[in-house]
Amino acid sequence: MHLALRLMLRDLRSGDILTLLLALIISVSTVTSISLFIDRLQLSFEQESANLLAADRLIRSDDVMPNNWQSKARKLSLHIAESTSFRTMIFAGDRLQLSQLSAVTDSYPLKGAYLVDDTLFGTGHPFTKPPEKGKIWLSSRLASLLAVSIGDEIDVGESKLTVAKYLVRDPGSSSSAFALSPRAVMNSADLAATQVVIPGSRVRYALLLAGKRSDLDNYEAWVTPQLNSGQRWQTPTQKGNRIGDTIAKAESFLLLTGTLAVILSGIAMALASARFVKRHLMQVAVLKTLGATPKTLINVFLIQFTVLFVIGALIGLAAGWIIQGLIASLLSDLMSTSLPAPSPSRLWLGIATGLISMLAFCVPLLQRLIKTSPMSVLHPKLKIEQNTLVIYSIGFIGMYGLMCLYTKGFLLPSIMTIAIFGIGLIVTLLGWMVFKLGRSLTSGATSGWQIGLASLYRRLVPNLFQLLVFTLIIMLGLILLGVKTSLVADWQNQLPADTPNHYLFNVQANQIDHINIATEQLGIIKSDWYPMVRGRIISANGQSIQTLYPEDKSEPEIYSRELNLTWAESLGKASQLVSGDLSAHGLSIEQRAAQETNLSLGDELTLNIGGNMITLPITSIRTVDWSSMQPNFFLILPKKALQDYPANFVSSLFINDANAQTFYKAMSQFPTVSILNVGDILKQVQTIIGQLSQAIELVLLCILIAGAIVLLASVRATLEERLEEGALLRVLGARKALVQQALFVEFGALGLFSGLIAAAGAEACLYGLQVFVFKSQAAWHPLLWGLGPLIGVCIISGIGLFASRTVLKVPPMHLLRDF
Amino acid sequence: MAVKTAIKVTNLTHTVTANTGDLTILKGINMEIKAGESVAIVGASGSGKSTLLGLLAGLDVNTSGEVVLYEHPFSSLDEEARALIRGQYVGFIFQSFHLLPSLQAVENVMLPAELKGDKNARDKAEALLEKVGLSHRLTHYPNQLSGGEQQRVAIARAFASSPKILFADEPTGNLDEGNGKIIIEQLFELNQSQGTTLVMVTHDNELAKKCDRQLMMSAGQLVEKV
Repeated sequence: MHLALRLMLRDLRSGDILTLLLALIISVSTVTSISLFIDRLQLSFEQESANLLAADRLIRSDDVMPNNWQSKARKLSLHIAESTSFRTMIFAGDRLQLSQLSAVTDSYPLKGAYLVDDTLFGTGHPFTKPPEKGKIWLSSRLASLLAVSIGDEIDVGESKLTVAKYLVRDPGSSSSAFALSPRAVMNSADLAATQVVIPGSRVRYALLLAGKRSDLDNYEAWVTPQLNSGQRWQTPTQKGNRIGDTIAKAESFLLLTGTLAVILSGIAMALASARFVKRHLMQVAVLKTLGATPKTLINVFLIQFTVLFVIGALIGLAAGWIIQGLIASLLSDLMSTSLPAPSPSRLWLGIATGLISMLAFCVPLLQRLIKTSPMSVLHPKLKIEQNTLVIYSIGFIGMYGLMCLYTKGFLLPSIMTIAIFGIGLIVTLLGWMVFKLGRSLTSGATSGWQIGLASLYRRLVPNLFQLLVFTLIIMLGLILLGVKTSLVADWQNQLPADTPNHYLFNVQANQIDHINIATEQLGIIKSDWYPMVRGRIISANGQSIQTLYPEDKSEPEIYSRELNLTWAESLGKASQLVSGDLSAHGLSIEQRAAQETNLSLGDELTLNIGGNMITLPITSIRTVDWSSMQPNFFLILPKKALQDYPANFVSSLFINDANAQTFYKAMSQFPTVSILNVGDILKQVQTIIGQLSQAIELVLLCILIAGAIVLLASVRATLEERLEEGALLRVLGARKALVQQALFVEFGALGLFSGLIAAAGAEACLYGLQVFVFKSQAAWHPLLWGLGPLIGVCIISGIGLFASRTVLKVPPMHLLRDF
Repeated sequence: MAVKTAIKVTNLTHTVTANTGDLTILKGINMEIKAGESVAIVGASGSGKSTLLGLLAGLDVNTSGEVVLYEHPFSSLDEEARALIRGQYVGFIFQSFHLLPSLQAVENVMLPAELKGDKNARDKAEALLEKVGLSHRLTHYPNQLSGGEQQRVAIARAFASSPKILFADEPTGNLDEGNGKIIIEQLFELNQSQGTTLVMVTHDNELAKKCDRQLMMSAGQLVEKV
């Protein structure tokens, strides 16, 4: 066996190698478990969201897509489905109705299910196949308008199709929530025969894809460069919708957790390697006197560290795999679907963390170890040439690189780095001042209090370093706790249990009172009624939209289609005024639409409303929370401008399962009123939010445990020096209680102080994270200010006292011999 | 046959940087030690004895002058080469023993031979520990041994590489009289049986008298004590 391995095996007894190994295992397993778990959650959410999209990925297009797009997808073993959507007249005898019709292939939907019913205005049950050839499904409203029922025949273009079911909801329709025409679905095999799609028809095509993520990624890379401005690649977790935003926030949190885990790993490795080096300085000096050359020593330590890395990484990976499995199984009871298996390809992150933290912290320290002068065997107090700043700078650069690698960006690592430097500076300055104050307040060493406080200043540099480490660890825990608490609260506030889950639209003014009575009788909570008048923007500041956007596909959404216009005297819950005055005689525009069109206060828009041109200045800009499930509008006009036009009204309401059937029946007396049920989408969002809250709580728990272990290690690291001093005091006649009291005061003061600074630091970091990363409202966290110092005092002095308890029982002579 | 020179020192000066400025510890030292000779370096605390010992063994590089150990001038060698020379020629005994705490007694003694890649390191170590009367303590760890026993292990370790020259820094400094005597006896016995040159720093007059020559360090200079 090689000398390095023999020495390593013998060294195992001393525990130093084990400490290093443990730090490595904590680093690798924490990062591995978190990244594997994040991966599984992402996959799971993608799958759940895919049910809403009816596919894993989707391409929307205004034109027929090239044939090779499908053949490429097949080549990549992806499942495909197609849908063709358009507006057309549907005839039943002498009745006719403009409808929103989708023709879909047999494989539609690839994910999720239709909700269909055999009863008119039924609540529906899932169905994963589309209508067969020759059949059509109509929404209850459409069936009522056409006065047909199941089994009747209707005409679509040149074809006759049989009504087979009533359509309650079709997957992938969430984006068309405000499609005013009633919906129908048929099989695409019947499409050609209908002859309704002719050149020039306004048709939307969709190519749906499902399959393995790697294949989808390959396909995306292949197809994206070929997309034109009328074509869009859609993913289930795209930002801008509620689920996408919720998942994005959860991912940010987990990413933050992972980043903090990386920092924690760095601290663990720095502490362990510093301890390793300290304990090996004399060993290296002795080996040098015995003839070990620097080359031999480099070989010995490189082999040792390589073996250590391999063992640590393997155990860490295995532990990480097991921990994420445990988290997932704890969570499985709470999740509606089981989590997909973790992908082993994510293991590299854990390995990289172990490798980089070893390279960053161990190698520079090793270099210092190798430089140890053999002369120090004769002069033990000989100072070793060292540049701690350089060593820790290398370590820090390594950690920064790792964080960038982990977050695939610079923002979060940079915020963290600046925060740590800031904290470092504050800790050093405040620590120095407070320790000095403590020293000046205590002259003479007569009580434990005085000895303890005096020690703080006497060991100024190690104590400042320790203060920084304690502060960082406590701060990391507090940040995560703070983010988690506000994130979960934020989510819960977003979607209270009575969030509207149905929309009523196409309501005439004379129907409002009747519907109000019906809903009141059923005890249904309903939003206000908003009048809706259709209109189209035709020019901005006197320039026609065609002149502004000659290529019509690139024009902003508010220019591209007819808009629902309303008037309102005040803003609803989901809106906030950004600038201007809502009561002025002008237009109120939604902020994002204003940004897209470069419009600001004072700009003029001309609208075509029922053939009349109205020109109005923009007098206010407001934000709109589109996911609030309240009726929301791009443009609000003054009442005067709209009141003479025929309007229909819209409202949103919350209907629970118990009164749904009665409500639908009650509404069947108003067949022209459209009811849109978004309850399923909402339930899915609430389920996902519930799962995410549980998930991040478990991840938080894991990281807090890892943090506690590192904290314990850092307390132990400096305990030896203090115990040596304690042993000396006992030799000089001090009682055990005095030594204990001094230890308690010293550790307690360090803990209290680091807890306080950590709370302040966490509060500052939380402000930055909430404002810049999570884009939510910043708030104070009074809990942290209590928790920080409490954790500091209890854990640090607790561990200190507990660890010293056994040692204090041993005769001081034994201790002195060991040191 | 002319006796070979083990160590030759010419005009050796050593200066270190202290808080108060440069401090010259050794000033123009000249000396020669023959192979097989035993030399004691005595002097007051802080007179530079240990520094001289370290420079003679190539543990550090002197500021000026030359130390030649068995025809190898240290000034022209780097740390790598000096370490090889130490492994080849030198054995050490320290005042505070410097046994590696995580190694058993026998493993501590095996170390020098292991560094040389000697396959019989364990057999040799066991034989040496038997010579110093510790065959019953082979698998004990340093903290399970008394001070005297630890120093005997250190002596065994020093002789494990069959050194041509043995440097001892206050070998009895941490021991009581009884243990000190045993150590001295074993040290000289091994020294004579293996024909080793011995260079020893000591405060102990009795011990110094046992050596062939005594050199007195005073204010960084060396005076032969007759």
